[in-house]
Amino acid sequence: MRKNRTQDVTTSRHYQGVKVKKPKISNLNETISRIWMYMSTYKSLFIFVLLLVVVSSSLSLLGPYLLGVAVDEIITGIEKTNLIIIIAILIGVFLLQSVTTWFQNYWMIKVAQHAVYAMRKDLFSHVLRLPILFFQTRQNGEIMSRLTNDIENVSRTLNTSVIQLTTSVLTLTGTIIVMFILSPLLTLLTLIIVPLLFVGMNWITNRTNRYFKQQQHDLGDLNGYVEEALSGHDIIKLFNQEERVKRDFIEKNQRLKESSYWAQVYTGFIPKIMNSLNNLSFAIIVGVGGIFAFNGMISIGVIVTFTAYARQFTRPLNDLANQFNVILSAVSGAERVFDVMDEEKEDKNDVEIKNRKRLKGKVEFQSVYFSYGQDDNTLNNVSFIVNPGDTVALVGPTGAGKTTVVSLLSKFYEVEKGKIMLDDQDINKMSRSGIRSQMGIVLQDSFLFDTTIKENIRYGRLDATDHQIITAAKSANAHTFISQLPDGYDTILDSNGYEISQGQRQLISIARAMLADPSLLILDEATSSIDTITEIKINEALTKLMKGRTSFVIAHRLNTIQHADLILVLQEGEVIEQGTHKELIKRNGFYAQLNASQNRAINE
Amino acid sequence: MKKIFSYVKIYKKSAVLALILMGLELSVELIQPIIMSIIIDEGIVGQDFQTIIIWLSVLIGLTLLAFAAGIVSSFFAADVSQSVGHDLRRDLFSRVQDFSAVQMQKLTASSLLTRITGDVTQVQAFLFMFLRIMLRAPLFIIGGIIMAFTVHVQLATILVIIVPVLLLIVFWILTEGIKLFRRVQVRLDHLNSIIRENLLGIRLVKAYNRNNHEQLRFNKVNNHLMDDNKKALQLMELTMPIVMLGMNISLVLLLWFGFMEINIGSAQAGEVVAIINYATRIMASFGVFGFLLMNFSRGKASATRISEVLESKPSQVIPKTDSSIANIEGHINFENITFSYSNMKRAALKDISVQINAGETVGILGETGSGKTTFLQLIPGLYKAKSGNLSIDNKPIKEWGRAIRDFVTLVPQEGFLFSGTIKENIAWGNEKAQFDDIVRAAKDANIHSYIMTLPDQYETRVGQRGVNLSGGQKQRLSIARALLANPTVLLLDDSTSALDANTEQRVLESIKSKSCTTVVVAQKISSVMDADKILVFDKGCIVASGNHQELIGNSPLYQKIYQSQMKEDGLS
Repeated sequence: MRKNRTQDVTTSRHYQGVKVKKPKISNLNETISRIWMYMSTYKSLFIFVLLLVVVSSSLSLLGPYLLGVAVDEIITGIEKTNLIIIIAILIGVFLLQSVTTWFQNYWMIKVAQHAVYAMRKDLFSHVLRLPILFFQTRQNGEIMSRLTNDIENVSRTLNTSVIQLTTSVLTLTGTIIVMFILSPLLTLLTLIIVPLLFVGMNWITNRTNRYFKQQQHDLGDLNGYVEEALSGHDIIKLFNQEERVKRDFIEKNQRLKESSYWAQVYTGFIPKIMNSLNNLSFAIIVGVGGIFAFNGMISIGVIVTFTAYARQFTRPLNDLANQFNVILSAVSGAERVFDVMDEEKEDKNDVEIKNRKRLKGKVEFQSVYFSYGQDDNTLNNVSFIVNPGDTVALVGPTGAGKTTVVSLLSKFYEVEKGKIMLDDQDINKMSRSGIRSQMGIVLQDSFLFDTTIKENIRYGRLDATDHQIITAAKSANAHTFISQLPDGYDTILDSNGYEISQGQRQLISIARAMLADPSLLILDEATSSIDTITEIKINEALTKLMKGRTSFVIAHRLNTIQHADLILVLQEGEVIEQGTHKELIKRNGFYAQLNASQNRAINE
Repeated sequence: MKKIFSYVKIYKKSAVLALILMGLELSVELIQPIIMSIIIDEGIVGQDFQTIIIWLSVLIGLTLLAFAAGIVSSFFAADVSQSVGHDLRRDLFSRVQDFSAVQMQKLTASSLLTRITGDVTQVQAFLFMFLRIMLRAPLFIIGGIIMAFTVHVQLATILVIIVPVLLLIVFWILTEGIKLFRRVQVRLDHLNSIIRENLLGIRLVKAYNRNNHEQLRFNKVNNHLMDDNKKALQLMELTMPIVMLGMNISLVLLLWFGFMEINIGSAQAGEVVAIINYATRIMASFGVFGFLLMNFSRGKASATRISEVLESKPSQVIPKTDSSIANIEGHINFENITFSYSNMKRAALKDISVQINAGETVGILGETGSGKTTFLQLIPGLYKAKSGNLSIDNKPIKEWGRAIRDFVTLVPQEGFLFSGTIKENIAWGNEKAQFDDIVRAAKDANIHSYIMTLPDQYETRVGQRGVNLSGGQKQRLSIARALLANPTVLLLDDSTSALDANTEQRVLESIKSKSCTTVVVAQKISSVMDADKILVFDKGCIVASGNHQELIGNSPLYQKIYQSQMKEDGLS
């Protein structure tokens, strides 16, 4: 199976074979009833499917029975016309059995796939509307797994397991009942294999668990080592250590071979035991049944029927436990999916306001308080005023609350106490989409989509023409490098494609913001090392971008700070100083100290 | 596949034994219906109690025999699959170790990892199944028909006609189905990549208010996924009803013609029953075909990916370390060097000529992609130049082979750590290093005092299962590792970028006191200002060279960089 491209080295650590997880379900009934809600678009079809399952299971019992009857009739000598009748009935039964089997599956797939489609859609749309806090408190991998693996699991299970489980239960009980009616004694003898099956399986699982654990451990160890040796390939070469790495690997490889050998040997017993029990039941039915038939207790036809039945019931017997587990794990997957859907949306109170005017960009924080969860206040009584078109630099150590300030402004979180005014209007009275549609953002990590450069810039304004895109790229200083790429603006940015540098990514995201032409701008300057020349280009582009827009910059570069109209110095959630560079230097406080220490470092 | 087969050959004995045991099991199942016919015809119809008892014991005996064969085959099959897996991993790993950096780049570390881990496991599972189950279904179908012939020729003809037709139909459905599933997988990958993008870029999606846009994009793919999934599954679900119908029809035909044959006395009841039994068993064998084909195509894909690695020759076998050379001087000479990566059109280095004298410190500045890193990587021979001559101490790099790496050390930008202790990481290039030397290297790299604050100091575990170190700490550990190797030529590829200015200066100073030839790639002019020579790279060419004073005087590009950095730095 093809894995996602970016799931590379880190996630492949999960590639350690099958892990048997005990599904945990906290609310079985509710989860099932919610799955049912999704299936209820095709409720009547689903009920019909279940009816078909009953019919096809009964027919699968009738077939072998009629076959036995026919054999008996042939042996005892029968009129041709009577045989024709039996055969006609048989043909009817077999035909109907195939038809019902196919239709039950055909329709079940339809029901299941539509349900899964709706679940996927609802889940995705819900996730898009979740507050940023949700994404911060969880690992992307975990959310990803709910959106992909868990739903896939539900999908697979709905497709087949529901039908399989009902069929298994029905045929199993049906077969045993009919067998009892035909010959109770032979049935009891045949059922000997059931306890044998359980004893055998128990014996194996007791042994395999231990070996599997060991194998899992050794495999993890080996894979981890390979991962390291591959990503450190250059280092190994540079230090001439190839021989030593090979030697270590050989040792781990040997250990893995030994532990997996026994794990595999024991699991290999399982199908063989199943087979042998089949053979045993055959021997009992034919041999012991033969003795019964010899004594006239049963007819030869019953033996024929029994041999067919025996095949029908050993398999479901083994599958039943498996299928039940599969269904439970799907239910627990569904529960995880519903958990996400139960998270509160951020825009639950939003009203759609049409015809918005372009904002002027006056921003005012009035004693704003905010905290994430029960922690101490992240923002404490923050107040400031920004005039339209001004540039605000947010300065302070990590965790001081710089990001929180801009996040509150974009309504990623809601203010706890105090007010944020935008053009003298409380932002709580404005819709999120209203504010965000006039806001541009350039993030530190300059996130770009796996598509062409052109489409990435167009993300700023979906209806932009190619010409407008190129104009935006030009003013963002990105045009030159883009046109040098082999495919120019159509260069696809993914891990398989052309690699562009961090600085170039930032230029593209500036072009994107340029195209959006927002009245408010939020900028998170990159801390990572970007080469000097690109940095010059970025600075130029940013200066152009910030012109005439109210801009909030989480600043790391001193020249941005220096030229800001307002510097907010944050420490532990409080604005401890604010003013222009000159004012703050004159004040000789925290900012002046910070500035001095940075200069010292540089000039040393 | 062929390549993998050559690995199986080594364990021929176990493989053949496993196959023979499988055949034994199979024969037991093939004989059962015949015994059934004897019990019916001679025992029940012929009223001979003795026969029934004898054949009952035979049946039980055969069951035990098949059981024993099955159990024993497990040992041999596991031996083959585990040994082949082991050998494949061993050879893959050692082949990859011999790869050049160019080959590494082409196949990528993540793809190689899947090949060594996932693909080998897949092939192993496939082999194990092949030796025990895979051949069973097809062999049973063939064997079943042959046995039916020995029972009754005319009746068996019915099976010969119907079974191949069914096989063709099933094969067609399966191949079509696998094609469709491949499309489903592509859709699923696409859907997942949209989800992943939205999770990673959620702030952007929200900030640009693109909920609806993203939802539409998602819905479109979701729709396609549903349609394709339905199509594929619904097609696959045709298999069993068709097989059931076909085989059931043959049962009816067997009954009818059996009746005719019995009437004219050319067949016995037991024989008809036996052939019916073969037919039902053959039907059951059809069920596993889908499973087999899936596994086969997966195993084949894995085998191909593995062979790709095994069959790629190391571009050039580099001679081993020559221990006779005690030391070198460290004079490096680039003469008209041109280099380009295979996946890029533009040359990474164009006609580079430069001399670096022993003991000199050379700084390199330039934009990302201007060829700085490539320049460094050529020196220890990680890559080979397309044209031109590169020599160290007047000996061409080709003749040095791997030996040069005992004297030249490169510290990459990203500090790479192996899992293990800090001590082991610093001593990584030199297992015999004394603890004192390790500490000295750590002190030189300005990381010693930090190490001493850790709970287990030098014994603290780092890497995957250890403490998390910051980028700067990793860089300093890498530098310590390089210093411990006591190189004559030290290459720093922006390897102090995550350090603050103070620490960086201290590290650079202690390196300077080592009197080795040093080449430093840097972003900040302040990191290379004191160098004997500074090279300014642009688009694969050296556009300016000289010391700081000279460059300030004659290089506009250098001036531009200097001014922008000083403007920033000197804001005060």
